[in-house]
Amino acid sequence: MRAIPNLAARVKRIAVSHETILLFIVMAEWLYFNSVGRHFGSLDNTFDIVRQTVEIGLLALVMTPIILTGGIDLSLGSLLGLCAIAFGKLWRDAGLGIPSAIACTLAIGALAGGLNSMLITMLRLPPLIVTLGTYSLFRGLAEAITRGTDTFTNFPASFLFLGQERWHGMPAQFPIFLLVTIVVWLLVHRTTFGRCFRAIGFSPEGTRYAGIPVNRRLALAYVMAGTVAALAAITYTARLGQARADAGTGYELFAITAVVLGGTSIFGGIGSVHGTLLGVTAIAVLSNGLVHARQPREAAGVLTGLLLIAALTLSVLLKKVVDIRSSRQTVVEH
Amino acid sequence: METSAKNSDRLTPLLRLNSIAKAFGAVNALKGVSFDLQPGEVHALLGENGAGKSTLIKIITGAHQPDSGAIEIAGESVSRLTPAMARKLGIACIYQQPALFLDLTVAENIALRLGAKNALHRVQWKENRENAEKFLRRVGASVAPDAEVRRLSMPEQQLVEIACAIGAGARIVIMDEPTASLTQKEQLLLYKVVRDLRGHGVGVIYISHRLEEIFALADRVTVLRDGESVATNNVDDIDETALIRMMVGREISQVYPLSQGAPGKTVLTLRGINCEAGGIRDISLEVCAGEILGLAGLVGAGRTELARVIFGVTPADAGEILLNGTTIFIDTPADAVAHGIAYLPEDRRRHGVILEMPIAANMTMAVHQKIFPQSWLRFAAERELADDYIRDLGIKAPGHDATASSLSGGNQQKVALARWLVAKPKVLILDEPTQGVDVGAKVEIHKLIRSLAAKGLAVIMISSDLPEIIGMSDRIAVMRGGTIVAQLPGGSDAHSVMAAALGQREAEGTHS
Amino acid sequence: MKGHLRELSPAFALAALLLLLAAFAPGFYQLHPLLSLFTREAPTLVMVCGMSLIIICRQIDISVGSQFAICSVCAGLLAAMHWPLALVLVASVVLGAVMGSINGLLVAVLQLPCIVVTLATMVTWRQGLNWLRQGEFVNLPDNAQWFGLGQVAGQCALISAALILLALMAFAARHLAAGRYIYAVGSDAEAARLAGIRPKRVTFATFALMGALTGLAAMMNLVQSPQVDPKSGTGLELKVIAAVVVGGVAISGGRGTLWGPFLGLLLLVAIGPALTQLHVEAYWEKALQGAIILLAVVAEGLRNRKEKVY
Repeated sequence: MRAIPNLAARVKRIAVSHETILLFIVMAEWLYFNSVGRHFGSLDNTFDIVRQTVEIGLLALVMTPIILTGGIDLSLGSLLGLCAIAFGKLWRDAGLGIPSAIACTLAIGALAGGLNSMLITMLRLPPLIVTLGTYSLFRGLAEAITRGTDTFTNFPASFLFLGQERWHGMPAQFPIFLLVTIVVWLLVHRTTFGRCFRAIGFSPEGTRYAGIPVNRRLALAYVMAGTVAALAAITYTARLGQARADAGTGYELFAITAVVLGGTSIFGGIGSVHGTLLGVTAIAVLSNGLVHARQPREAAGVLTGLLLIAALTLSVLLKKVVDIRSSRQTVVEH
Repeated sequence: METSAKNSDRLTPLLRLNSIAKAFGAVNALKGVSFDLQPGEVHALLGENGAGKSTLIKIITGAHQPDSGAIEIAGESVSRLTPAMARKLGIACIYQQPALFLDLTVAENIALRLGAKNALHRVQWKENRENAEKFLRRVGASVAPDAEVRRLSMPEQQLVEIACAIGAGARIVIMDEPTASLTQKEQLLLYKVVRDLRGHGVGVIYISHRLEEIFALADRVTVLRDGESVATNNVDDIDETALIRMMVGREISQVYPLSQGAPGKTVLTLRGINCEAGGIRDISLEVCAGEILGLAGLVGAGRTELARVIFGVTPADAGEILLNGTTIFIDTPADAVAHGIAYLPEDRRRHGVILEMPIAANMTMAVHQKIFPQSWLRFAAERELADDYIRDLGIKAPGHDATASSLSGGNQQKVALARWLVAKPKVLILDEPTQGVDVGAKVEIHKLIRSLAAKGLAVIMISSDLPEIIGMSDRIAVMRGGTIVAQLPGGSDAHSVMAAALGQREAEGTHS
Repeated sequence: MKGHLRELSPAFALAALLLLLAAFAPGFYQLHPLLSLFTREAPTLVMVCGMSLIIICRQIDISVGSQFAICSVCAGLLAAMHWPLALVLVASVVLGAVMGSINGLLVAVLQLPCIVVTLATMVTWRQGLNWLRQGEFVNLPDNAQWFGLGQVAGQCALISAALILLALMAFAARHLAAGRYIYAVGSDAEAARLAGIRPKRVTFATFALMGALTGLAAMMNLVQSPQVDPKSGTGLELKVIAAVVVGGVAISGGRGTLWGPFLGLLLLVAIGPALTQLHVEAYWEKALQGAIILLAVVAEGLRNRKEKVY
């Protein structure tokens, strides 16, 4: 007897959830651009969208657990740039093979994430200001290593395959993205670590009182973000065929926008990886579609910014309504 | 002071409360309390925790509205008192935790409290400093007006608060345990300030647990118990023993589950524990398997602080903690949980549960490794476990996926307790386990605690409910000023526990 | 006095850098390069003043770079239409104030987190500008150069204008009730409310002021070159925030002065030319700036630790 209202409530909850609404928006976007742009719906164009979005998508994926803990990482775009340069340097000047250069680059990314988490947990500094500092540091190091002008090109075709060719009919970087998506999704939604991220976002003190090693969990989120930023640097380099110091400039902003648009609360605790995925898709489809609709690319940026403010305002207003309701409920209970 | 008390009938009282009642949900916090304050009088307010003192104060400062009853201030009846109105009428309250701007100087804090100015008003630093000096001198504080408040000690901050109140021309000053964190010397200074205020015709409502200070300072004393005012007496007409009797006053009517059998071997041993941050000094204590150790004492005696040291929230600076005879190191709550030490915190909304998370997730929070091997969430197992505990503990909830915030206080407490039952700890520390819980749930929780002890758990129970601690405990340790002042056998009479907690001299004799 | 301790570290660092330069690269101390360096950074100083107040108020604004670009381009277009320069200046300041007010409304009234709000407005303004202008430069009429004063006089005018503004703002922050309200709100908004201050109003006004100062800074930058680059102001927000943080303003609000960020800015902008003079490659400038910010942040963290924030 209880199962039926439960099911109805569940259906209702899913139907009005942020993710579902966003899914409809993405579908509406797609249908609109498909009717306006001639080649928009083609497989080639879809693959183009995927290629161009993989790096921002990767950053958004790993930004999600960080924002779930109530933190933020502004340094990921800069770290992407630094890792791209490090990779180029290791391959061309240090004479490492591509596989070992990739491994070293990933290690550098993890180390950089470790630096962020160390400053945040040990000195108890706000993530915003710590990562603002490393944002400058990482980009500055990239510029210093390249002396501002040096770029790395002429990578072997076997490496460029990763960014430019197809593998079993799909863009070669897509399996990587898929793999990271699955890993992050499982981590956030199916393991105790994800539970802890949320708990920290809701109440860091309460989580500590439950005997959870809060600092170690935070370290995991930031180190993972650093490692995946390094991975994004690899696919970025392979896609463009060159590594430059300004790689990934501003990507962190798109990643944060995608995460917040995807329904993750900037205050932490609430959110989902599939929501982030939808957020990334919404932004990617919008910017690609506007080009097909013969609108300037920049319109996408403006719309994204406005969308972000609208989504935030809506979530704050919704929260107020819910708060008023729940406070009424507790009054009734007494 | 004798004259001021005796002439009181002829003066218009500064404040008069007529049969004030206030209920929070089902709990009647105040059941018709009458109270009056004369100009130039120190009126002490005495009572156990939960007797209704803080509710009464909140009504006087306008933070709460009474359900019924009348408030008169300086002879004028006031219908709806708001905090702003109360301040305008000259009511000031000095809390234990001062609400000052920590980043600003003393002089500026005082100036800002004296009222907001037009935005383009030029700040008169010299005048502010002189004003501050004047007010600080009146409260006898040797605080530099240019000092940053964050660098002041807690008593100095309190003095600044009092200076603010005086500067704002307060006629009624409420002091809520102002000496709780003061040294002997600072206390004497504060007494001087209070007497000085009285000399200027200010009425002081003085809340304190220290009997000696009530006798040294107050003109009259009102004892509150269970939301009722027991009696108002001139201090000269009453002695310590009578006061304690009035505070405790009730027979232990409730039946507590009996202890079964002798306690087992020692589980937890503390040796010379010190913790500066928590104000804990030189604590040595033993708890045995199957035993309930009651930790009695007044608010601020250091009971919760001791629990936090054992649980690793504020690790000890010195001393040794032994578990089953082996030294263990506890630097974080995670360490404590790993060693099988559990703590049910006092502030359940902030620490006990995570309000926004479902009941099931809250219950498994402390046992992730045990229930979720290899870190994979097993929703079915979790659901089953949560449903079991919801049924066993009689938690009233719409389901295991309801958030903790949707539950009533008693049910939240049961969820918080279930979290540790799942963990099967060796030592369980309970901090005010039945605070804000209705009578029915209280009995259930008591039974549960006893059955846990019967299973061989070492239980430490902190409670401010005197009958509860006497009825439940196999042994009682009384804390005062951050250390243990007496250890009494279970079933000791309320009078001797209260006497030890209050620091009455006779208590020394009962030291075991 | 204890209150000035926070300014000591940037002051010492700056003094050390200047001494180092005096010993090893006296070539740094030449009038003309220094004059043009200071002129170039005069607009930044104006924005640093506003940002100091924002951070003292426990907020942050990362949209100022984009605001700067919008004000620059709009002022440039008006100047190209031969509006009188005074009127262009007013228009630029008003435009900036409007953009600042939008941030202020969203943060103070809707209580949205300042970092996300200003992130969104940053992207919106920047992309909107690119959309409308498509990266086109604005050519300025000759009379706009140095307000028609000639280079040296114009440089002196800009530097002194920035310094006078700094002095005025520092005075207001210290000696006007309005300034103290910003400190009070940044220190403890709830206590401020109890003392009769309206935190929402103060926060809103601080953002609006930041916008107006950005408009002024854009104008001060505009007169220095014959063209307006629509990409101007990219990354400026970070430089401004860095100067404030290095200058000892506590990121947790309520503490700091305007003089510290002034020193912080001097330190950050002196590094570039100093590196050249010391024959270190100039590419290290940004990395060094990042390291200095991190050092300042770490110092703040250690300081908080020592003060035992329970």
